[in-house]
Amino acid sequence: MAVPHAADPQLPDPRLPDPQLSVRDLTVRFPTTRGTVQAVNGVTFDLAKGASLGIVGESGSGKSVTAKTLMNLLPRSAEVSGEVTFEGEDVRRLAAQGRKHFWGVKMTMIFQDPMTSLNPVKKCGEQIAETLRYHLKRDKKTALAEAEDLLGQVGIPEPGKRIDQYPHELSGGLRQRVVIAMALACEPLLLIADEPTTAVDVTVQKRLLDLLDALRRDRGMSMILITHDLGVARRRCDEIAVMYAGRLVERAAPETLFGDSRHPYTDALLRSIPRIDQPSHTRLEPIPGRPPELISPPEHCAYAPRCRFARPDCLESIPQISGVAGMHEFACFHPANTGRGREALAANLASGRTAAGLEVAELGGSN
Amino acid sequence: MAGSGHAPLREGMEMLLTVRDLEVEFPVGRGAVVHAVSGVSFDVAEGETLGIVGESGCGKSTLAKSIIRLNDVKGGTVDYQGHDLATLKGEELRRLRPDLQMIFQDPISSLNPRRKIRQVISEGLAVWGDERGSWSQSRIEELMLLVGIDPKFGDRRPHQFSGGQCQRIGIARALALDPKVLICDEPVSALDVSIQAQVLNLLEDMKKRYGLTLLFISHDLSVVKNVSDRIIVMYLGKACEIGNADELYQNPRHPYTRALLAAIPEPAPTVDVSEGDISGELPSPINPPVGCRFNTRCVHATEVCFSDEPVMQRVGESDHYFACHHPVAVSVNP
Repeated sequence: MAVPHAADPQLPDPRLPDPQLSVRDLTVRFPTTRGTVQAVNGVTFDLAKGASLGIVGESGSGKSVTAKTLMNLLPRSAEVSGEVTFEGEDVRRLAAQGRKHFWGVKMTMIFQDPMTSLNPVKKCGEQIAETLRYHLKRDKKTALAEAEDLLGQVGIPEPGKRIDQYPHELSGGLRQRVVIAMALACEPLLLIADEPTTAVDVTVQKRLLDLLDALRRDRGMSMILITHDLGVARRRCDEIAVMYAGRLVERAAPETLFGDSRHPYTDALLRSIPRIDQPSHTRLEPIPGRPPELISPPEHCAYAPRCRFARPDCLESIPQISGVAGMHEFACFHPANTGRGREALAANLASGRTAAGLEVAELGGSN
Repeated sequence: MAGSGHAPLREGMEMLLTVRDLEVEFPVGRGAVVHAVSGVSFDVAEGETLGIVGESGCGKSTLAKSIIRLNDVKGGTVDYQGHDLATLKGEELRRLRPDLQMIFQDPISSLNPRRKIRQVISEGLAVWGDERGSWSQSRIEELMLLVGIDPKFGDRRPHQFSGGQCQRIGIARALALDPKVLICDEPVSALDVSIQAQVLNLLEDMKKRYGLTLLFISHDLSVVKNVSDRIIVMYLGKACEIGNADELYQNPRHPYTRALLAAIPEPAPTVDVSEGDISGELPSPINPPVGCRFNTRCVHATEVCFSDEPVMQRVGESDHYFACHHPVAVSVNP
């Protein structure tokens, strides 16, 4: 059996006494005509300077809303509570004060679709120069020269020619590089990348992720990488946080998360993905059901209805995230790969169904 | 011709679908044409799943759509049970079309939002009447149960379902006419990972139950490997490599296949990751490179690659074909 919570001592400890970014009990609600959407519920994490955190989860898990909250990009109707501290500054107070030269300068973000994050009627160079002129008060000529330099840094061939081109003249991969160049213009301390490679092909994806890695290392920049692709998070992050239904359910270094996962959702997710090293026609183990509605979510573990480990206590209260801080934390009463989890699963298999009524059978024999 | 030739056609065997030298072009004005598919040949046996992989713009969707004639074919033949689908017209084509059904990438927009899903699923049956299985309420309910949608929701409309459920409805609609061939164009790309496996398993079950032949298009190499018996790798309208799924992933011979496999976020341990760095951009399909179409980005390219198009050749006696002048040596794996 693997040693529980074994973590590489080389990894940056996210519970450093002085983290660069600290998020405490972040909660985001959106009032709608159908009721209040509880998009993010009590998310807490720290990020050390220069570290990279991957946030993985499915659509609706709250990963993008978390990022947008940090970037102050939520609509006015959103009800936010909790604390966000970045380099000692209270980010939510900055937002209330209307501080303009924080986002885009110290903390910056890139989005999934490079076409919609660029202005289609403005030349690429001008768009990058605009950032420099607005935040850093560069004059037009210096700003354009810096823009050209930035395009070179993100590996765009012939930057001198590209600054005079419009976004539609570039391929998807090049466009995303322009977006990255723009995000890097003011030398940010933290880059939030929201599914930066979802819209591009696998070979382009590799090159973009390599670029982000290199830039992060060269500049000592921290990164939050939001992705639905567990493989991407595994290779590119120091630590991975898994979100489900607006909550953080597990957080660990990639080796721990992939080799010794605790939350049944993480465990099931890893089993359900087709792997390249399996022979073809390997039967997949899907997760039954689908994620819960975020309007009036259940007053118990949100994953319980889909969970093979669910016991009666899972339907009574919401498990809080706990564990060894900074090494391996999870929110589950009957964690997978532990004695408690095995007992729960054995009991459910014996009765043929979980406490939530889900039919369970031995894996592999279910079909 | 680069990446063409008939070598991958398995002569002497009974094939359900044989595509020979398929060519598809789209005019883009001023006499220019996009060479979407150029001289691709392959065959599919009954009950087999052929995976089609490649990056966007490689012609994989066009190839599939040409087979059921959603776009016109410029040259080549598509032999399906003695009929040439590439040239068939009018009533004859209409009569064959129910045999070949398609499911699409975006599950929600591929269903008519104003129809109840019962109508969506039954439309084909309503058109064909008793010729393709009888239209009855119980048949619709059977189909819905089959794909895991509760028949009591038959009067709901597509927007009331999740993406995964809409894809199930799409599959039920495709199965209604009892097709022989199911073309799946990126059927799980728009779905969340936890739902992907459900739909992939459903497709496998349906394939077994109805003896379907599948053409499965995806840019996700792990997904394609999981569902396919054989895989064809495409680049810029050409076939690079065709082979048995496990063999192709184990011993890729074409540099492009190797690059694709090396670029996966979590490559298999046997893969040399450094090969994933293919430089440059995809050339324009309006003026594709002369010779091998991959020559602008290939690290192994020499003079011959810029003058002669490689022809598909067989690897020994195996079911594995590639089109390259400088194939990568077989890796020695235990």
